[in-house]
Amino acid sequence: MIKLRTALKYIFLIIVSLISVFPLYWMAVSATHTSIEVIRGALLPGNYLFKNFANLLAASDVSGAMTNSFKYSIVMTVLALFICSLAGYGFEIYHDKAKDAIMSVLLLAMMVPFVAIMIPLFQTFSKWGLLNTTLGFLLPTISTPFLIMLFRQSARSFPHDILEAARLDGLNEFHIFLRIFIPTMKSTYASAAIITFMGAWNSYLWPKVIMTEKTSITMPMLVANLKEGYVTDYGILMLAVLLCSIPTVIIFFLLQKQFAEGITGAVK
Amino acid sequence: MKKRILSAIMIGAMCTGLLSGCGGGKAASTGDSSAGNNTAAADENTLTVWCWDPAFNINAMKEAEKVYQADHPDFKLNIVETPWADIQTKLSTAGAAGDLSTLPDIFLMQDNAFAKNQISFPDAFTNLTETKAFDFTQFAPGKLAYSTINNINYGVPFDNGTVIAAYRTDILEQAGYKIDDLTDIDWDKYIEIGKDVLAKTGKPLLSCQANEADIIMIMLQSTGASLFDAEGNPNIIGNETLKKALETYKELKESGVMVLVNDWDQYITTMNAETVAGTINGCWIMGSIRAAKDQSGKWAITNLPKLAGIGEQSNYSNNGGSSWAVSGASKKKDLAVDFLAKTFAGSTKLYDSILPSGALATWLPAGNTEAYSEKVEFFGGQEVYKLLTDFASKTPKNNTGVYYYEARDAVAVAATNIIAGADVDSELKTVQDTVNFAMSK
Repeated sequence: MIKLRTALKYIFLIIVSLISVFPLYWMAVSATHTSIEVIRGALLPGNYLFKNFANLLAASDVSGAMTNSFKYSIVMTVLALFICSLAGYGFEIYHDKAKDAIMSVLLLAMMVPFVAIMIPLFQTFSKWGLLNTTLGFLLPTISTPFLIMLFRQSARSFPHDILEAARLDGLNEFHIFLRIFIPTMKSTYASAAIITFMGAWNSYLWPKVIMTEKTSITMPMLVANLKEGYVTDYGILMLAVLLCSIPTVIIFFLLQKQFAEGITGAVK
Repeated sequence: MKKRILSAIMIGAMCTGLLSGCGGGKAASTGDSSAGNNTAAADENTLTVWCWDPAFNINAMKEAEKVYQADHPDFKLNIVETPWADIQTKLSTAGAAGDLSTLPDIFLMQDNAFAKNQISFPDAFTNLTETKAFDFTQFAPGKLAYSTINNINYGVPFDNGTVIAAYRTDILEQAGYKIDDLTDIDWDKYIEIGKDVLAKTGKPLLSCQANEADIIMIMLQSTGASLFDAEGNPNIIGNETLKKALETYKELKESGVMVLVNDWDQYITTMNAETVAGTINGCWIMGSIRAAKDQSGKWAITNLPKLAGIGEQSNYSNNGGSSWAVSGASKKKDLAVDFLAKTFAGSTKLYDSILPSGALATWLPAGNTEAYSEKVEFFGGQEVYKLLTDFASKTPKNNTGVYYYEARDAVAVAATNIIAGADVDSELKTVQDTVNFAMSK
């Protein structure tokens, strides 16, 4: 009886997994077909991958877009992690009522949708001469209330005894943050890194508005361009989507274990 | 004390980061300025252009560059591939922020959005009538109307959105019909033939996207009617043409002559995977039809059915299409105007060279060249281009206005409700209310 129940569970889970994985499978398979074969519903791998690849390279600046996407995402992730963790740490460790009030204001800022601040932001950046610059691209999302909250929540489980011990041993406050907090909070950093990297990699609206040079194209912009014409080549489109997905998938798998720990808030 | 100072520094660092997002601190000066600061290339002979389709309008711009370079060897174009939706977002953001310096010298604008944008952001457009560089009488009047606001021309018409009815002649033949049987007909006749074709071959004559009002708007324009009156007020309640179009739409669906699909990709699939016997759309749809190379010789093109008994009762209409605009903030307006005047409004050579990509001229002199008489094998050897130029010249004007898209979307919702059994008159009232609400009336 128990065996039967387990079997049923597995069957159910296998079906659900197949349904979840199918779009990814279809994306990969479609990248190996001509556009018309994709339209007609090809489900098994074809032999048009290299031709699609050649056509994609001829039609778009893939290497430029990849380079830009990596550059923006990596710089964004490093800066955002440092600034937000420092802030989250500060809010929790040097905790008082005034900081709680500031934190509440920060959390309120999470409720304001980006499109609502886009026009004033554009105005400001245009006055500062930040249009078409990497700095202009990065600034609005370099510090997010969500990340600060994430770090603050995990700093809550950071044992104060260690803090006291470190102070007694003569470490200054910044070194405590650098040498003790950061290594202890690896899993939180991993999940924050995944979230930030994915957000930066996929960001579309703001970069599109502020970056008008064709040399600053990113992968999501490249994919959007491919879908725009009167006639869409679905084979090339799927290949571009596949290429665009690979880096985030790799990063997710590399940090998967820490990500799960970070989300559940484990501290060793 | 030390602890407090450090705490203040840490919170300060955070605030700098955050405020930079809300428009506060210039202090954060990390990063670089690699992309440079100006959008338009510094070179005086270079124009920056935004358009979106490499196979189509980008290709046309590249060809135009070559044509213009014959007399101006130093001339160059910096074409930035920008999807239409992004041009709209960038224009809206720049216009609302009052800084048009990010706009290129020339940008392509969807015809249906032209009036809306010109009225909303007048500074973003150059008055082309004033330049006296163009002879606008040489463009198809139905097409020219989109970029003409208060009798002033703000755009140079580019691609042709003339509506075609394309049919699979082999499927029609199975049911005992020829392309001539579907030429110069009205919608009643279309439905009659459609039912017969469906009964004999199992294939509907038409497929449409369920959430779009394209076919209804096509019917409407074929009669010369619009959703707005000349003053720009909604003309929906009591609009007999719209009512008739919606009733025809319902009949098409109920008779099975038209099949509804969920999205654009499915719509293309119905044609490429041979589940329908035809389609009605802007002539740019030919590109997608021709993607199925194995169907070569099996298609033919004719005009669309007319809405009998109402308005101009023509068999011609328009769907989509775009026009070039010169930015009002461009520092090289004269060059941009001269370039457009000598290419898109003055070169048959240009139009001949972009014809193979499916870019059909709305500049009428282009239609008289030999290239336009070419017989297209895919469409059974028809002189397709000549036919389309002729259709374009007969298309009634359409009055779009500022709230065209809002009205069009409301009509699409009404069409869905009517198919589900709602009363046409009450749905028209809802559409009018929706448009009035959008217009804050």
